Amino acid sequence: MTAMRVDAKVVMLGKESVGKTSLVERYVHHRFLVGPYQNTIGAAFVAKSINVADKVITLGIWDTAGSERYEAMSRIYYRGARAAIVCYDLTDSSSFQRARFWVKELQTFEEHCKIYLCGTKNDLVEGDRGARQVDYHDVQDFVEEIGAQHFETSSKTGNNVDALFMKVAEDFSNSALELLPEEKGVNLGQKKNSYFYTCCHH
Amino acid sequence: MAADVHSKGVTWDTPNGNLAPVEHLPSSRSESPTPGLVEGTEPGGGEWVEEEVEEKEVEEKEVVEKTEEQQRGRAEGEGSVNEPKREVQAVVREKEEDVTSDAWRLHKKHVFVFSEAGKPIYTRYGSEEALSTTMGVMMALVSFVEADKNVILSIHADGFRVVFLRKSPLVLVCVSRSDQSDSELWRELHYVYYQILSLLTLPQLQRVFQQRQSFDLRRLLAGSERVTAGLLRLLETDAGLMLNATMSLPLCSTTRNNVCTSLQIASSKNLVFSILLAGNRLVALIRKKEQHLHHTDLHLLSNLAASSSSFRQGEGWTPVCLPKFNSSGFFHAHISYLEQDSDLCLILVSTDREDFFNLSDCKQRFLERLKKRNAYQALQEALHSPTYPVSQVGIPELWHFVYKSKSSGLYTSPELPVPYHTEEQQDRLMELYQHLHSRLHHPTRPLRSIYRSTNTENLLAWSTSGFELYLCFSPLATKALAMSAVTKLLKWIRKEEDRLFILNSLTY
Repeated sequence: MTAMRVDAKVVMLGKESVGKTSLVERYVHHRFLVGPYQNTIGAAFVAKSINVADKVITLGIWDTAGSERYEAMSRIYYRGARAAIVCYDLTDSSSFQRARFWVKELQTFEEHCKIYLCGTKNDLVEGDRGARQVDYHDVQDFVEEIGAQHFETSSKTGNNVDALFMKVAEDFSNSALELLPEEKGVNLGQKKNSYFYTCCHH
Repeated sequence: MAADVHSKGVTWDTPNGNLAPVEHLPSSRSESPTPGLVEGTEPGGGEWVEEEVEEKEVEEKEVVEKTEEQQRGRAEGEGSVNEPKREVQAVVREKEEDVTSDAWRLHKKHVFVFSEAGKPIYTRYGSEEALSTTMGVMMALVSFVEADKNVILSIHADGFRVVFLRKSPLVLVCVSRSDQSDSELWRELHYVYYQILSLLTLPQLQRVFQQRQSFDLRRLLAGSERVTAGLLRLLETDAGLMLNATMSLPLCSTTRNNVCTSLQIASSKNLVFSILLAGNRLVALIRKKEQHLHHTDLHLLSNLAASSSSFRQGEGWTPVCLPKFNSSGFFHAHISYLEQDSDLCLILVSTDREDFFNLSDCKQRFLERLKKRNAYQALQEALHSPTYPVSQVGIPELWHFVYKSKSSGLYTSPELPVPYHTEEQQDRLMELYQHLHSRLHHPTRPLRSIYRSTNTENLLAWSTSGFELYLCFSPLATKALAMSAVTKLLKWIRKEEDRLFILNSLTY
């Protein structure tokens, strides 16, 4: 077996303890680990294949550590990423400020990277509306402004998690399709040749 | 800045020591706990502060006496109530602890780290904010003594030892109620210091404080509390950190060879070290030619891998500084478990931060080769019994032992038998070993061997140029018996050598 073939690089970004690792854990291993909070060290990579319209797409997911210590390193994780899932904790408004920072960072350095804003720990605000500190509509406005997608998920219940990654894979698949006409452009060149050929022949 | 590589000039090996490649795992004992800043010779100071400067020898004598007194006091008072139960995993709870409570005061060993501006960076128990005045007072003590061109090393009072380690721009302090000597505590503080360096590198640490003296380093260390807590616990439980050695996983030689060669072949251009661990036991280590991994760096790596479950979830990729190798730059480590629920952790250390997929490929190749040669199965089976009962040696009165081979920097130890089945008893045994260790390696009066009798066990420690040995016997054993047991044990170890140790050091 050789190294895994990865179609799309996906990077998880966001303040520490917002639940990036839990989100990946839920999506990849379909489970939610209870127990003491464990920081991610550096970054963790995991590949996951997903079926999109008869096609198999392998997402290479980089789950980065939220700690400021790794900020200088973060570029190596998001460079060349096709999608970034920027997470914030619905019960922590400061985590949304941090999400804005990451969006800015991506817009500056990685303009081809699609951004998905993801509010985590939805289960906490569902049971207790007072716990919500990040307003849905505020985020929606922000998302429209920057041309991103918006999800609210719960890794504990699994709510909306698959939908989020499905959307990421679909968008990738569609954008890959968009590339095809360009190839036709090369074909046009061939036509041109044949045109010249016919021309000369004429 | 305190001179880091300040050699003490006292060698622990006997003068006619062999020329075994001890250098490639230089003993960090040679690293002096004496900061290089000592300029003045005035020991003076207030009556309530014992400063150990220059007058070390005199001081040390007192220390030893004190320790023995405490030891006796302890043996009598054992089993009394004031032994706080330590809970390893409850790092979070430890952080929330009330620092004014008695329980907080009763912790056996506190560790504090703060900046030269007195700003708190780390505390083992309780929150840094709540302890900012305490750390401020500590910094004041340090500065007060330094104003006289002197250095505060430790304070002994009321059964407590307060040990200071100055590593500009940081100050590390340990407050201990244990019987450990100052130099043991300094060694532990050094570990905490290296742990911080491994996350930041020395230049980065210096830079942030040069830019702003009042910088809050916790911002950069966020998320490393578990790593440090794990390290402090390891210092109390793993004899390897005391011995400057690593425990090897007992493995039959054919399996070991298979594992080693498979790992050796799975190389990549920028790979410097390939390390296979089972828990904190070393299974195999392959290194680049002429590059050596210091045991301190190995302990830091193995502790890092054990500190986060995120390495189980996927393949980890993290910058890491190996401070003993080079404190000024980052390596990049690929950390992963061979299988999700396996205890076998593979750490691949590279110089290139873009090397992730190359190393991921190395891991795959290693795993395939292991499986093809059926070595993976054999390795898994060895993990079911990662240790051996002491009864294999065939000395009835021998309860436990720790044997370090100085040439390989590895040690072996049987499983802990019945009297040491509780955490409390295990900690007690470790403390006994630590006590013997500090006597053998006394800074001014090192010993070659020591025999010690307590109500609960008889202990013998012996150090030669080739090995260091600690034995624990039942209280009924005698000195004569202990001596004959050593001969028998050494014979047994020789016979089992290729199973217990990793005999050849392989390079790519």
